[in-house]
Amino acid sequence: MHPLSTNANCSPATRLSPTILDKLTILTAAAKYDVACTSSGVDRKGDGAGIGNTMSCGICHSFAADGRCISLLKILYTNECIFNCAYCQNNRNADVPRATFTPEEICTLTIEFYRRNYIEGLFLSSGIIKSPDFTMDLIYQTLYRLRTVYRFQGYIHVKAIPGADPILIEKAGFLADRMSVNLELPTSDALRKLAPCKSRKTILEPMRQIQNGITQNKNELTLYRHTPQFVPAGQSTQMIIGATPENDFQIMSVAENLYQKFGLKRVFYSAFVNVNHNADLPALPGGPPLLREHRLYQADWLLRYYGFTVTELLSEDKPNFNIYLDPKCDWALRHLEFFPVEIHTADYQTLLRVPGIGAKSAGRIIKARRGCKLNFADLKKIGVVLKRALYFITCNGRMMYPTKLEEDYICRNLLSDRSQIPRELREEGYRQLSLFDDVNFGGDSNVCIPMPKQY
Amino acid sequence: MYVFQCPNSIDGILSGVYDAWASRYGHKNIQLSSDESGELTLFSEYIPVTADFEKSQKVSRTLIRRLGVKFYETICATAMSDGSCRKLTMDKANAIYQTIVMALSLPDGAKVLEYLGEPCIACIFELRRQTYNEGHHLLEFLRFTELENGILFAQIHPKNAVLPILASHFTNRLPLENFMIYDAPHQTAAVHKASKDYMIVDASSINLSAIQSLSADEEHFRNLWRAFFETIAIPERQNLKLQIQNIPKRFWADTVELRDRL
Repeated sequence: MHPLSTNANCSPATRLSPTILDKLTILTAAAKYDVACTSSGVDRKGDGAGIGNTMSCGICHSFAADGRCISLLKILYTNECIFNCAYCQNNRNADVPRATFTPEEICTLTIEFYRRNYIEGLFLSSGIIKSPDFTMDLIYQTLYRLRTVYRFQGYIHVKAIPGADPILIEKAGFLADRMSVNLELPTSDALRKLAPCKSRKTILEPMRQIQNGITQNKNELTLYRHTPQFVPAGQSTQMIIGATPENDFQIMSVAENLYQKFGLKRVFYSAFVNVNHNADLPALPGGPPLLREHRLYQADWLLRYYGFTVTELLSEDKPNFNIYLDPKCDWALRHLEFFPVEIHTADYQTLLRVPGIGAKSAGRIIKARRGCKLNFADLKKIGVVLKRALYFITCNGRMMYPTKLEEDYICRNLLSDRSQIPRELREEGYRQLSLFDDVNFGGDSNVCIPMPKQY
Repeated sequence: MYVFQCPNSIDGILSGVYDAWASRYGHKNIQLSSDESGELTLFSEYIPVTADFEKSQKVSRTLIRRLGVKFYETICATAMSDGSCRKLTMDKANAIYQTIVMALSLPDGAKVLEYLGEPCIACIFELRRQTYNEGHHLLEFLRFTELENGILFAQIHPKNAVLPILASHFTNRLPLENFMIYDAPHQTAAVHKASKDYMIVDASSINLSAIQSLSADEEHFRNLWRAFFETIAIPERQNLKLQIQNIPKRFWADTVELRDRL
C-alpha cells in the first residue's frame, strides 16, 4: 500500500468503483485518438516526501500494438459532451457508452500504476460536461487532489478546455507540467464546418493565455527562485491531418506560426481516422494517411532543430511533400549547389543540412574532428547514415565513392535501396500506386516519382 | 607483449589498470583483457590480476581528481557493459586502459572522450552508450509487483550490469517505498528501505519463494493495466513491427502487459 494513502486501513482497490474496469476501458478508448503522450520537457527531482519525479528526456513505459508509446495514463475525465464536432467519437450525437470518473478514482489509478512503473504520469482530457467552466473545474479538483493529498510529483499533461474561465486555466496550469489546447483543424473554415461549437477564437485565446502565463512565470522565476512553476514543460497542440483538404504547405505554415508566435513546444499531427463514418468526412479506404503524417513530423523536426523554414521546404507551386524522399533529402536534391560539404571544415549549421547527419552526429563530428582526422569508417561509428550522406559529403577532400552530383543520379541511387523507401509504398507496390496516383497527396503532378530500379 | 587478465568487474578492471601501470613494462607493451575464456596468443606473457578494492579506489580517486567525475562515470559505464558488441574491435578492459593512458598524457585529458576517431575512444563510446541505452530501456520497461508485505519487487534480465542506474533513479522516484530490484543474470539486487539510500547486494543465495505471495490488490491493478494497454492502441494504425522495434522482445517476459503475447 502506498504510504500516503489517506486512509491506511482501506486498500487502494476499495477506493475504486466496482465498474472501474468498464469505466477505464470506455474513457481510454475515448482518449486514444489524442496523440500527445510525451512526458518530456521538465527535470524535477522528488522532494523525498511524496512520490515521483520527472526527466526532461521523457520515459515511455510501453508500446501499444500500433507502435505508439504509452507514457502517460491517457484518459478522459468523462466522455459526456455537449459539443458536436463531426470528427470526434464522443460528440453528443454519437451512440457510444458514456462514463465519468471521480477525482478519487483518477488519483488512485495514477498512483497505483505509477508505483508499479507502468506509467510516467497522467494525461487528463475531458468531454465538455454541462459547461466548459464546470469541466475545467473538475479537472482542476482532480489535479489538486493528486498534487496535494497524494503528493504526486510525476508528470501531468492537462487539456485546457476551450471557452473555460481564464482563472480556472491558470490555476490548473500551476499544477500541470504541460498544457495543451487542440487546434484540431488547420484552417478556421474547416473548423467552422466540422466543429461548429468551437471557434478559432475560443481555441487561440487560452493558447495565448498560457503563453503569457509561461513568459510571466519565467520572469518571476528569475527574481524569486521558489515561485511556483507555471506549465514548466510548455504547451503543445494537435492538428487532424486528412479530414479536410488543406495541403502540406498550409499545415506547415500554421505550425511554423504556432512555434514562432505562440511559443509552442510541440505541434502534433494526427492522421485522421473516420470513427463516426460521417458522410461529410473522407472515407480513406487505404487507412489513415500515415505516410503523410510521418512526412509532416519529419518536416516539423526540420523546423525545430535543423534551422529550416517552411518556405525552403515547400511553396505554393509545390505544396505537398515528396512521398518517396524525406523532406531533407528532397530539399538537398533541389539545392545541390550547397554540396558536397567537407566534413572537416563545414560549420554546424551546414552539417545539419546534410541528409544522413542529425543533430547528434553533427555535434559529435564538430568535437571529434578537433582531436584527429576522421575517415568514413569513423563517421559511421559516430552515427552518420552513410547510405544517404555519401552523395553529399567529402572527407579529407574525397568522396566515399566516385559519384555524380546530379539530381536524377542521386535520386535513383537512393531509391535503389529498398530499405530507404517508406514501408507503405514498399508493401503497396509500385503498380497500384501509379493506378490510383495516391489519394492522400492530392494527386498533383509536382510529386516527383522516380522510376524504380529493375531487379 | 604482456597481457593482464582482469576479472570482469569495475574493481577487477581498475585493479588491472593499477597493476599494468605499476609494472613499468611500457604502455606500448601492455594489453588488458577482461575475457577469461579468450584465445591465448603465442609470444605473450599472461599475468593474472585479482580484484583489489584498495587498488581500484586509488585509480578511481586519481581519475576523479585529474579528469573529473564525468570521465570517471564514463569509465564505470564502460566497465559495467558486457563488452560483447559486434562492431567492437577491442577488449573493453584494454580500451579503458588505453583511454586512461591517453587522457593522463594530455593537458586537457577529459576531452579525449570526444576524439571518436581513436579506436579505443570509439570503443568506450560504443560500450558506454550500450550501458546507458539498456539502463534507459529498463527505466521504462521494469515493472514492480506489490508483494503481500507491501514491498515492491522487480525482476530484470539485462545484458549489462545496469543495476546502479536503476536503483538511483527509483530511489529518487519512490522515496517512501520499500523496494527491491533483482538482476537475475548478474545475481545482484538493489534494496531500498523507505527514506533511506539504496544498497547493492549479492543475491546469489536469494530465496525467490517470497515473491509468489502477491498483495490482495496486485492482480486487480494488473488487470486494469492490461485493459488500458489493449484499449489505447488504435486498430486502424496497427503496426507490430514498430512495436517490436520500440520494445524489443527480450524485455517482454518481465512486463505485465506483453508477457502473455510471447
